[in-house]
Amino acid sequence: MKFVINVLSSSNAPATRRALRFAQAVLAAGHEIVRVFFYQDGVLTASNNLVVAQDQQDIAKQWQAFITENKLDAVVCIAAALRRGVLDQAEAQRYQREAVNLADGYQLSGLGQLHDALQQADRCISFGGE
Amino acid sequence: MTTLHIINAAPTQTTQLSSCLRVLSAGDGIVFCGEAVQALRAGSLAAQQLQGIDHSCKVYALEEDVLARAIDAEALPVTLLDYPAFVALCVAYSRVSSWT
Repeated sequence: MKFVINVLSSSNAPATRRALRFAQAVLAAGHEIVRVFFYQDGVLTASNNLVVAQDQQDIAKQWQAFITENKLDAVVCIAAALRRGVLDQAEAQRYQREAVNLADGYQLSGLGQLHDALQQADRCISFGGE
Repeated sequence: MTTLHIINAAPTQTTQLSSCLRVLSAGDGIVFCGEAVQALRAGSLAAQQLQGIDHSCKVYALEEDVLARAIDAEALPVTLLDYPAFVALCVAYSRVSSWT
């Protein structure tokens, strides 16, 4: 079965950890993840500037490792990312910002990518709130 | 067509649960995760509402969230889930609705 995982909360929120554990279980069960879409505060998970205290779990780092290891299509909503300061090279140049902080494995794109994934998938599971 | 409803917020914080109960149909399931598991506390208003739902509807909760909050899930007929079981449920129901 084909899944879309929609992440709506920041990487500090338990919901984002839950989304990761769920996504890991999806692949472990032999299902497919068509796309992981990061939206609203979820885009903060794709920043490589996050510094997490040593005694806490770095869920953003775990998400990135999961995405790259499994070669998942991880799309970050561009409008939500820009307003939260998550930029790739092209956007940093366009808006004349010094920092490029979109982590490897992610790409900025539009909501259309969520719609497109929904057309291909059997299930969309959203993880938001706390 | 049965629907699996996923609820993540405590019943005192949002109207997720009351909205869900309004559209809950025969054969549907509800998964409580995160702070939403507070709804399962014995004697709470939410737990009383859950006791009144159609008998064909099933109640599930993410085990790690129930244990982390020391909630006695014996008061209601609740099936506790690990992540593989959560995924299997999403497959078993014909639709999934994530309340956010």
